[in-house]
Amino acid sequence: MNLQDYIASGIIESYVMGLASESERAEFEQMCAEYPALVAERRKFEESLEHYAAGHPVQPPSEVKVKVLKIITMENSKSSKNEKSSGNVGWMRFVAAASVIIVIVMAAMYYHVSEQNRTIIEQNKDLSSTNDRLKERLDTTQSTLDRIVQEQSVVSDPNALVVNMVGTTVAPRSSANIYWDSANTSVYLVVKNMPKLPSDKQYQLWALIDGKPKDLGVFDATDEKVILKMKNTQKAQAFAITIENKGGSPSPDLKKLQSMGKTMVTQ
Amino acid sequence: MALKERNNQAFGFLYDNYAGALYSIIRQIITNNDELAGDVLQEVFINIWRKIETYDQTKGRLFTWMLNIARNASIDTLRSKSYQNSQKNQELPDNVYKGVANQTTQLNIDNIGLKKVLEKLKPEHRVLVELAYFKGFTHEEIAEMMAIPLGTVKTRIRNALLQLREYLK
Repeated sequence: MNLQDYIASGIIESYVMGLASESERAEFEQMCAEYPALVAERRKFEESLEHYAAGHPVQPPSEVKVKVLKIITMENSKSSKNEKSSGNVGWMRFVAAASVIIVIVMAAMYYHVSEQNRTIIEQNKDLSSTNDRLKERLDTTQSTLDRIVQEQSVVSDPNALVVNMVGTTVAPRSSANIYWDSANTSVYLVVKNMPKLPSDKQYQLWALIDGKPKDLGVFDATDEKVILKMKNTQKAQAFAITIENKGGSPSPDLKKLQSMGKTMVTQ
Repeated sequence: MALKERNNQAFGFLYDNYAGALYSIIRQIITNNDELAGDVLQEVFINIWRKIETYDQTKGRLFTWMLNIARNASIDTLRSKSYQNSQKNQELPDNVYKGVANQTTQLNIDNIGLKKVLEKLKPEHRVLVELAYFKGFTHEEIAEMMAIPLGTVKTRIRNALLQLREYLK
C-alpha cells in the first residue's frame, strides 16, 4: 500500500485515539517499525492532541492529588518491606520503577520547557515582524523627510536659479519649474502641470548650451509635485522639455517642444 | 528514604502537569457525576503509577498512553453494573441511541475539551465519534445500533477523525 494513502486513511488518528481494531493496531505498529515517516506523522498528531488537551484542562477536585500521593506512599513502604524479605530483586525493581518515573518526569519537564520555549519563539517572531513593519514605515518616513528637506534646501538655496518653464504653442498649458544650482551644477525639476502621456512616451529635459541640446534626463507627468533630481549641467542658456519615446532620445524632437525657459544668466 | 521522597515529588509533578487534561477527558465521558469522575481520576493515576514500566515509548507519547488509560477507565466505569444501576433511577431510555442523543444535548451545555471540537463535525459524523470514542462502543455494535453497514461506520469514523485533526491545529 502507498504510504501516503495509508497516512491519509485516518489510521493514525484511529490508532492514537484507541479506536483501531486489534489487527489494525498490529499492522500499524509494524508499519511504524518500517517507515519513520509514519512515526513522524503519528507524533505530529499526538502532539497536537496533547497540545489541545493541555490547553483545555478541567480543574480536578483538589483532594484527589492528596489521596493519590497517600496511596503511592503506602505502596512504596509495602515494597520497602518486601525488599527485606526478597532481598536485592525487590530493591532492583523499585529502583527500576523509580528511574522510569524520573525519566518520565524529565520528559514532562522537557515538554513543559519546550512548550514555553515555543511560546517565546512565537512571541519573538511576532515582535520581529512588528519590528520589521515599523522599520519599513520608518524608512518610508525617513525618505519622505529627506525629500522634503532636499526640496526645501533647493528652493531656499540662494545659489539656485529658478527657471519658470512656460508652455509653447504646441502645449500652451504645460508648466514646470527648474531649480538650477549654478554653484554645484545640480538641476532639479518640479512638474506643475504637464499633460499625461501615452505609456510609451516620456518627457525629456534638455539644457541648451550654445544652441546645442544636452540631455538632462526623462520624467513622467505623474511625477507631479515632487522635486526630481535631473542630470547636472555646468552651463545652460535655456532649458527645454520635449516628448520623446520612453527612455529618452539622444537628440530632441523640437517639433514636440512642450516647454521652454531661458536662464537669466548667460554663461 | 531520600529516593522514595524524590519519587513522590516526581509523581506529584506528573500529576500537576497532566491531571487537568486527563480529568477533562474523564468528565467528557462521565458527564453527570463529579464525584465518580474524581474517583476515576484517582484510579487512573494509581494505574499510571503501577503500570509505568509497561509504557512503551516506541508506540506513542506518554500523554497518549495516559489519555488512553483515562479513557478506558472512564468507559469501564460507565459500563459497570453499579453505574448502570445508578443511572436507571435517572433515565430509562427506549434504546441506547436515544439515550446517547439525550446525553448529547446535555453535553452541549457543558462544552469542554474535545467535545467542543466535535461540535464542528457534521451530525452524522459526530454521533459516530460520540458512540465510539466517548461511549466505547465497537464499530460492530455501532453498525448494528444505527443499522448502517460496518464499512460505512468505519469510513465515517475515520473521516471524522481526520477532520478532527484539522480542527485541533
